[in-house]
Amino acid sequence: MKPTLLLSLLWRDWRSGELSLLLSALVVAVTTVVTISLFVDRLQSALIAESSTVLGADRLISGSVPIPGSFTRAASDYGLLQSNTISFSSMVFAGNLNQLVAVKAVQKNYPLRGSIHTSQQAFGPVNIQTSGPERGEVWMDSRLFPALAIRPGDSVAVGEAEFVAQRAIIQEPGRGTSFMDLAPRLLMHIDDIDKTRVVQPGSRISYTVLLRGSEENLQKLHTQLSAELNTRFRWRSVRDSAPSIRSSLDRAENFLLLGGLLSVLLAGVAVALSARRYAFRHFDHVAILKTLGATPGQIQKGFIALLVVLGTIATVLGLLGGGLLHFVMLFALQSYLPGDLPAPGFGPFVLGVVTGFICLFSFALPPLFDLKEISPMRVIRRDLDVSQRSKILSYGCATVGSLTLLVWYSGSLKLTLYTLVGFASVMIVFGGLSLLLLRTSHVVGTRASSFVRLALANLQRHYKGTVVQILTFSIAIMMLLILILLRTALIEEWRSQVPENAPDHFVMNISTHDVTAVQQLLEKNTYYKGQLFPMTRGRVVRVNDISATQWENLSAGDGAGVPPLRGERNLSWTHELPLNNQVVAGQWWANDEPKHYVSVEESYALAAGLSLGDRLQVDIGGIFVSAVIRNIRKVNWESMQPNFFILFSPSTVTEISATYMTSFHLGKRGKQFLNELLNQYPTVSVLEIDRVIEQIQSIISRVSQAIELILVLVLASGSMVLIASIQAGSDERLREHALLRALGGSKGLIRGALLVEFMVLGFSAGFIATVGAELSVAVLQSQVFRLDSQLHPWIWLIGPLMGLITVTMVGMFGTRHLVATPPITVLRNL
Amino acid sequence: MSSPEQVAVCAIAVSKVVSTIEGDLSILDAVSLEINAGESVAIVGESGSGKTTLLGILAGLDIPSSGQVWFEGNDITAMNEEQRAQVRAASVGFVFQSFQLLDSLNALENVMLPGELRGDGAVRKEATAILKRVGLGNRITHYPRQLSGGEQQRVALARAFASKPSVLFADEPTGNLDTRTGEDIIDLLFEMNREFNTTLILVTHDKKLADRCDRSLVLSAGSLVFESRDVEPGSGGSINSVEQTGL
Repeated sequence: MKPTLLLSLLWRDWRSGELSLLLSALVVAVTTVVTISLFVDRLQSALIAESSTVLGADRLISGSVPIPGSFTRAASDYGLLQSNTISFSSMVFAGNLNQLVAVKAVQKNYPLRGSIHTSQQAFGPVNIQTSGPERGEVWMDSRLFPALAIRPGDSVAVGEAEFVAQRAIIQEPGRGTSFMDLAPRLLMHIDDIDKTRVVQPGSRISYTVLLRGSEENLQKLHTQLSAELNTRFRWRSVRDSAPSIRSSLDRAENFLLLGGLLSVLLAGVAVALSARRYAFRHFDHVAILKTLGATPGQIQKGFIALLVVLGTIATVLGLLGGGLLHFVMLFALQSYLPGDLPAPGFGPFVLGVVTGFICLFSFALPPLFDLKEISPMRVIRRDLDVSQRSKILSYGCATVGSLTLLVWYSGSLKLTLYTLVGFASVMIVFGGLSLLLLRTSHVVGTRASSFVRLALANLQRHYKGTVVQILTFSIAIMMLLILILLRTALIEEWRSQVPENAPDHFVMNISTHDVTAVQQLLEKNTYYKGQLFPMTRGRVVRVNDISATQWENLSAGDGAGVPPLRGERNLSWTHELPLNNQVVAGQWWANDEPKHYVSVEESYALAAGLSLGDRLQVDIGGIFVSAVIRNIRKVNWESMQPNFFILFSPSTVTEISATYMTSFHLGKRGKQFLNELLNQYPTVSVLEIDRVIEQIQSIISRVSQAIELILVLVLASGSMVLIASIQAGSDERLREHALLRALGGSKGLIRGALLVEFMVLGFSAGFIATVGAELSVAVLQSQVFRLDSQLHPWIWLIGPLMGLITVTMVGMFGTRHLVATPPITVLRNL
Repeated sequence: MSSPEQVAVCAIAVSKVVSTIEGDLSILDAVSLEINAGESVAIVGESGSGKTTLLGILAGLDIPSSGQVWFEGNDITAMNEEQRAQVRAASVGFVFQSFQLLDSLNALENVMLPGELRGDGAVRKEATAILKRVGLGNRITHYPRQLSGGEQQRVALARAFASKPSVLFADEPTGNLDTRTGEDIIDLLFEMNREFNTTLILVTHDKKLADRCDRSLVLSAGSLVFESRDVEPGSGGSINSVEQTGL
């Protein structure tokens, strides 16, 4: 077929409105994919940038020996910004008072991401600093000021050097929520270390280089250094450092991915439906063309070329639309997003183009393939349909196309398979159920009024089409319900991590004789629940009569993000399994267990290669305690509760004296109370986690917003499917209703019949969608999002109702012309 | 009987059987016929006698379940759809009862279509001329929905003759038209048939129309019962100068 003829056919089809639905469906497909992926891309970058402020950098490399020059040179080669820090423990002196501090010596450009929140007074109003301390000054945690009885501006000594304690630190990057680093922080300039003379050969020092740069370059560096990193240095990202944020990000990513995936599927269905309608409406045209001598090859080439032209137009429009829409979304969310969003990459646009064409060729092309199979005899006998072989090819292509698109788009075979298996099972089971429902409705219909009878008879007469339509509607509704359910579950889960009045401060080092007084003070001034935990510090020295160093070399497992076996850490003991802990191997001990048992945390056990029955020897301040591993615990590190890697049975540690820790919620009551507490009990330590909680809440709120927006987009794709599906059946409805009206049926009768038809379709689709969504969500929650599954009674009301209302509304709107078109106009065209 | 290569259209023992829920249904049963170049032949018979199916098979729109159809010396039953389409493009014109114009094309575009499909150049000029010839010179930009039934059939005639076919197939060309308009169309059809020296094969119920053809073939229950130069359609066949055909 000549290109000019093809273009004129395309133009004539467009002019006559034949192509508008197919083009709109394709444009919506590309727009949705581009908008979602652009938005997700930029949001992810924003979230990562935001989360990086928690770390103070995009990545860290840390080790107990200086970071080799080869590492830093490689980082420079990739154009990464760097900042070095050195951390060690030391004493800080003020007059005759002293405190153990965790010193972090930093360069002036520290931190590379985020800022240090400081104050001019202990626990005072926040002042944001984007660089570290000058030479000659130190910044210290608020709690050190009352402990050392000084104010900001006073002098302190670290080793042999004097410093001005210039500022109080309120919040600094890199300070996690774990209880591993309990000593208060002291920040100094890295060039001041030498004059303190506290760093000597053999000192326990941690060297870190902070890195900032593009994700691509960071990953390249990681790949280049991976062999050397494994042995002596740790490579850390925000995901390894802040478990709460890590899991929020992972779940949000999975959710956005799922949202995108579902919208692609929906768009595909809309494209397939509109292409099928377009093809169906061209059966006669093609038969005429064939009688005039058009060969099947010409027909096929012609329609492929037509699709390419159409796909190109749709893709360009979709890219423009997607780009614009994502700006609209960014504008709407302006107040929730960071000001300097990273520029979007090309990825989302490429994704849009490829998606558009895959949609086109797997969903739209197969129905058009049918056209070449049309017999020219159709000009004489209109009942001739396409062959079964052609239909099988259509469905086959659509399935292969969906799979390719889903696996490629999600990058997760697991997510794709869960979605598809859920999809297929629901479709098969409920295809059958729909037929059953149709039969029942017929029985009811025989005793119903005329328009109800007409509607039900219509539905039953076209039972194959009705089942397909119910299933199509239910797919769209099911996807929306899945997203609504998951969104609710995710947001609830996140909120439950930080419940109202959750502890936001911890008090440690409470001596036995101060416990009662401290508790009374807390009860009077804070929201306090009175939970106490004994605590001491110790280090594992032997495992099964092998020194811990040797054991680590022999049997260390996968320890990304987990502290080493030998490090000094907080230990506790308890009769009862703490809240947010779950025994995953072995058994918890009895209340009066006389044997010496120990419980270790799952990832710690895995990293150190420990298993049930291993004997640990722990050095607690010179006293050696030996115990057998009785059980392994899974710990919810996101719970913001005190959690321990190592817990003893109480009989194991009878000789050990301990201090106590407890937690309280201060909220907005004012930080001045902390001064009062520390003045009265100078030996206690306070750990503030309220800033971290705020940061997590801010990230959660942004992610929730993003999720709601994705929901709106999927809703748009879903509506498109509803409209396409209704339009697909509208030609036949138009003919039948024109005949009915010609035979004397009133507009009211037609309207009533249509209303009942769509209500039955909508309700059935809503019901099926509810069952499908409940099943899919149960699987997705447990397998992908790692959340507890539960039934949602409210969805059983909302689902069918939502189906009924949306399908009826869209249906009545989409078929309004059926009633308005004069019957003679329709009958003339029969 | 002449050899199949020498006649315009030749059917040899053509049968057509279709599968239905109730079992196989025989539509045509061993029909044999010959139509010479330049002849005009009417196929007549009662509804359901298989006239239209036979027309479709003779024109290469459909293939028989058994038997052969020779078209201008070529066995089109041995061809695939691609080859049959090329034969249609080169040598066949059609006129249908329901006109079969493309709604999205105007009169001129509809007439240009066969030429465009063949890849011919300068089809516009010829199409315009032939539209003038059928009396629609002032309606060439009108769409089918803007034309009356008679006008639509004129466009269909123009389209059929625009490609200068050697054989024109017409299926009830006046079936959708009133008597007066039908007569006008038939006059035009026969005039143009003479002008273009086309072989005409038409299916009709219309006695007057059948009478204007050189001869008529009568089908009954899928079998060709006789052919005549002066036949009463549906009369059962006590006709003069009857020639039994292959039965």
